[in-house]
Amino acid sequence: MATSSFFHPSVAFLMMAAILPFLPGNRRWKWLLLLPPLAAIYAAFNNQPGDHLTLQWLGQTLKLGHVDSLSSIFAQVFAIMSLAGLIYSLHVNDKGQHVAALLYVAGGFGCVLAGDYLSLFAFWELMSLGSTFLVMLNRTPESVRAAFRYFLYHTVGGLILLAGILLRYRLTNSFDFGPIASGGAILPDWLILIGFCVNAAVVPLHAWLPDAYPRGTVTGSVFMCAFTTKTAVYVLARAFPGWEILAIAGTIMAIYGVLYASMENNARRILSYHIVSQVGYMVAGIGVGTAMTINGASAHAYAHILYKGLLFMGAGAVLYSAGTQRLDELGGLAARLPWVMVLYMVAALSISGMPLFNGFVSKTMTIAGAAEAGHTWVALGLELAAVGTFISVGLKLPYFAFWGGKPTNWSRELKPIPANMYAGMAILAILCFLQGVYPEILYRYLPFQAAVHEYHPWTSWNVIQALNILGFSGLAFYLLRKVIAPHKALNLDFDLFYRLIGRTILFFICRPLAFFDNIWTNVWNAVGLRILKGLGKLTSVFDLRVIDFIVDGSARDVKRVGQLGALAQNGRLQQYLGLAVFLALVILAVLWYW
Amino acid sequence: MPPHGENLGFLAKFLAAQLTADRIKFWRRVFFGALILVAALSLVIANHHPHFGYDQYPLFWSVFGALVGLAMVLLVKKIIQPMIKRSEDYYGDL
Repeated sequence: MATSSFFHPSVAFLMMAAILPFLPGNRRWKWLLLLPPLAAIYAAFNNQPGDHLTLQWLGQTLKLGHVDSLSSIFAQVFAIMSLAGLIYSLHVNDKGQHVAALLYVAGGFGCVLAGDYLSLFAFWELMSLGSTFLVMLNRTPESVRAAFRYFLYHTVGGLILLAGILLRYRLTNSFDFGPIASGGAILPDWLILIGFCVNAAVVPLHAWLPDAYPRGTVTGSVFMCAFTTKTAVYVLARAFPGWEILAIAGTIMAIYGVLYASMENNARRILSYHIVSQVGYMVAGIGVGTAMTINGASAHAYAHILYKGLLFMGAGAVLYSAGTQRLDELGGLAARLPWVMVLYMVAALSISGMPLFNGFVSKTMTIAGAAEAGHTWVALGLELAAVGTFISVGLKLPYFAFWGGKPTNWSRELKPIPANMYAGMAILAILCFLQGVYPEILYRYLPFQAAVHEYHPWTSWNVIQALNILGFSGLAFYLLRKVIAPHKALNLDFDLFYRLIGRTILFFICRPLAFFDNIWTNVWNAVGLRILKGLGKLTSVFDLRVIDFIVDGSARDVKRVGQLGALAQNGRLQQYLGLAVFLALVILAVLWYW
Repeated sequence: MPPHGENLGFLAKFLAAQLTADRIKFWRRVFFGALILVAALSLVIANHHPHFGYDQYPLFWSVFGALVGLAMVLLVKKIIQPMIKRSEDYYGDL
């Protein structure tokens, strides 16, 4: 599936996912995992702009490889993140987790390179399936339940998106995936927007994220935090730039996320809420919709994938080593896990927008762009969120995880952290630093090159302003460190309503079903059983005389078939989903080579 | 120090040694010194692009950081969380 100037990264990931289960189990296969990301990095930096891999289906032209300046920058950072993420997970023996991650990443690349709504939708669903497995394969009862909720929620979101796509097709007779003007928006456009907003975790559709991500596998959540929401940011930037409602929604997200992050106790849930906040910056930038803010949103997505991946890696390393991610059970670990702490702090300072790190060159661009476009309130809201960011993710989480006012905890059993986890973190930390010091290596790939020169992060005032905001919000944390101390609690969020809706639907389905089931049982007891008994007597005579003689041999075969059948319908969601992905890929392959 | 006298890397040794009362006092001084320094520098270096009106005044961003930080933490921990807090297994899973 490669032309002279184009290679689709998803192909490499899908092929790896297909062959991995059949490789012999001596662990040498793990090095092969690095091939797809390397191929993806090569492709992302060398693919030529244009429409590649077009195919005719149902009278439509599907464009699987749409390359332009916006899709390129996302493909690049996805490729880099997939390499760091796979290095971080090299020690994992569970092939299932790797296959899930590979499928998921393949879906991410497919979405970013999709030139039409149909192929976008196909890869969108592939992502949703892959990520469901990344949560489920944590193999605890709570993560299986969370995965089920996650899958249900994304299926509903996907169906809303599909409804929008199909309605839009009926009106416009095209699946073209391009900018939609906010002026004459019609119902299908809104449905598509809602479908996208589910994955972008726009408040109040966001609660799936802090529900699922803290319960994923240590390595799986590293992938998830990078791809789902940022794919959604990409599709929003492509289809809905300049939609005022997104500027408002993004600002609300930015503040909402930090408020919850400040009260949470679970380290990875703090980071999850903080994804909501950070994606808010990007959504707001897209909503403002000037060249500078779209640049800012893209730059922020790029920087965010790197440092959020690193944050999840750091928190994951603490969880892996200490066995808990609850802050109130941690503390006194700075000298026990010193390099985890340092690498985490690089990410924490990056996300806070500290000069020298990449958040400083991306976040400030979005804020300045919003202010210059006259969206003063958006800019001010984002500055507010920046204070909360530093307090929650930059200070609270590391302080209570690594210090917490406790002496060094020498007696705590810590599982040694494998070298590959450190390697994955180091790659991202170096990139966070390099982009902060040399913004050009990020800015040169931004979609609107003409607008890049409008903004210079490294002015003396920008540096002093950032240091003042961060320093004095640090003072606030110092004064209130006893007040903000986390403790065990569940903080109600919008998932309360999702669960209510789910239960209501279940109620309305279950009641009639139970009613008919009852009637049927009574009828059966009264009539059916009597008839059966009569028949049974007759057949037992026949059986004794004739059948026993013939059947004994075939009974064993029947039993074997029955066991196979039972295996196929055991109600295990993961196997059905796996089968669905497999069939979908086979159908895609057949279509492709038809 | 570790009970078994195991070998520590330089970073672990350094971090372990920072938890004495003296060193904590030292780091506190460094922190407050840095705050005074950046606040003073913001008086010297002019803001050529005030966006919000009030940010043309000196020390606006220092006061903004401190006040927003204090207000946000107090709002979240003293008002919001007490209202929406439930036991950890409220939904039946931890």
